[in-house]
Amino acid sequence: MSGRQYLKNQLPVLLINLFGMLGLALFLMACGNSIQSILLILWVWLLVFILYKGTVYFKRKKHLNRLLSMAEGLKERYLLPEIMEEPERAEEQVYYQLLKMAEKSMLEKTGGIEREKKEYQEYIEQWLHEIKTPITAMKLLCENNRCELTRDMLAELENISRFTWQALYYARSGQTEKDYFIREIRLEEIVHGAIADNKYLLRRNQVAVTVEGTKESVYTDEKWVRFILNQIIGNAVKYRSGQPALRFFAARKDNRVLLSVKDNGMGISQSDLPRIFDKGFTGQNGRAVSNSTGIGLYLCRRLCDRLGIGLWAGSEGEGTGMELMLSFPVNDFVTGVQG
Amino acid sequence: MKRKILIVEDDCTIRTQLKNLLTGNGYEAEAVTDFTDTVRIVKEYAPHLVLLDIKLPGNSGFEICSQIRIFSDMPIIFVTGSNTDMDELCSIMLGGDAFITKPYNTAILLAKIASLLKRAYASGQGEVFTWKGAVLHLESSLIENEGQKAELTKNEVKILYYLFKNAGKICSRNDIVDFLWDNQLYVDDNALSVNVARIREKLAGIGLTDFIKTKHRQGYTL
Repeated sequence: MSGRQYLKNQLPVLLINLFGMLGLALFLMACGNSIQSILLILWVWLLVFILYKGTVYFKRKKHLNRLLSMAEGLKERYLLPEIMEEPERAEEQVYYQLLKMAEKSMLEKTGGIEREKKEYQEYIEQWLHEIKTPITAMKLLCENNRCELTRDMLAELENISRFTWQALYYARSGQTEKDYFIREIRLEEIVHGAIADNKYLLRRNQVAVTVEGTKESVYTDEKWVRFILNQIIGNAVKYRSGQPALRFFAARKDNRVLLSVKDNGMGISQSDLPRIFDKGFTGQNGRAVSNSTGIGLYLCRRLCDRLGIGLWAGSEGEGTGMELMLSFPVNDFVTGVQG
Repeated sequence: MKRKILIVEDDCTIRTQLKNLLTGNGYEAEAVTDFTDTVRIVKEYAPHLVLLDIKLPGNSGFEICSQIRIFSDMPIIFVTGSNTDMDELCSIMLGGDAFITKPYNTAILLAKIASLLKRAYASGQGEVFTWKGAVLHLESSLIENEGQKAELTKNEVKILYYLFKNAGKICSRNDIVDFLWDNQLYVDDNALSVNVARIREKLAGIGLTDFIKTKHRQGYTL
């Protein structure tokens, strides 16, 4: 509460009091009172008036400041009427009522939006599960009738699968913590699985694949790491060079297992490098290749953060390829318990 | 003896295609079309392995699995579209042997089936293939002809294995490379030519000349 504004608001009261004082002084003078006694009476009046108004001002200010700090400490500010005590002053009661009304309509609105969001998310998830059946059917149809045409179709189906997974993770990202199944798994299994997921795509683009040193075991969720590798493979194919090559290399370093995925594609300029994990960032390469969304690596980063996997990207500049490094913690606790 | 596999899957296309795939890979496959009494069909057909979908009309795959477990411990592979970890955990708790999510990779599915069957019904003998007097020993990576032996590398064994399995048929280069990729050997077309040339050299060394024939523009054949 600003003091000046309060003073301004109290101006009519002040004027009425001054007017009253003037009237009283004139009346007392007419009655033949001495100037000294009149001044004394006026001083007392003024003193009482100022004291009263001052106390009221500080009391109200204290009360209102408390409300302000209460609101500031609240995460959902619109819930303020729930915790403040009901005021006793008639005027404040009206404001309280107004606040209550605002709160109610706000709650109704957010509740509606949340419900809508949840329903939409459930629908998307259900749809994504359903689309997998026709994708599987089509894959089997193609596999059972292999020829040049179905090989190309299989490569496209691999793209469709990857996009489906991307959407599934995006839809679920609010609650992925429910969806982990951490267990010991050989890195080899995940890497070969991811390559198998992209077999026809890699073969169609004549990518030379090498896998080295992936005998290490890690504790992680297989399907999400495979998802990350799928995104990386997809990128490597998308930003490939004339004679594409892709190398998976794993090694144990202290208490971490490092997995490096290196391609010899377009690479990335030093200025773009720090931003490749940002949502929607496509950079110079994205402009060179038409269908970049800037979503894949962003999801990888988010997923890695949740799984406790380190993720770095490196490139020595444009045209020199790109290296992505995943670092899995080897938990001493787990190995300790297992003895 | 052919291994029998029962497919429990409600999608019609997947059912028939899966059956074709399994039959094409040397299994005897049957599919359930009436889901009211799946367990009885399992009992009657007595398969060596069951491919089980979770979302089914009537009883869910989980229920069927636990009912099968009452009378048999045959390998059960859950094949499902939903991939939440709850489902995966349930499948393990109820005694499923593997959990594969759609859209699955057929190579991985076939590998899982083969390894589960091998574990459950160990055949004892190492796998051996014979064709026109030549004997291929898979376990020891050897090829034998009239007492003479030649050692083979990983790639060479797999190439020969594929040719022996499809002996008499023409194997296209593309199919051979596909097969090698399924076995985690990522070779390209050129490397295949090099490997085949080396195999021919080794075969000539043990008295097998012109064992692998090249069909121009089509591929190789034994």
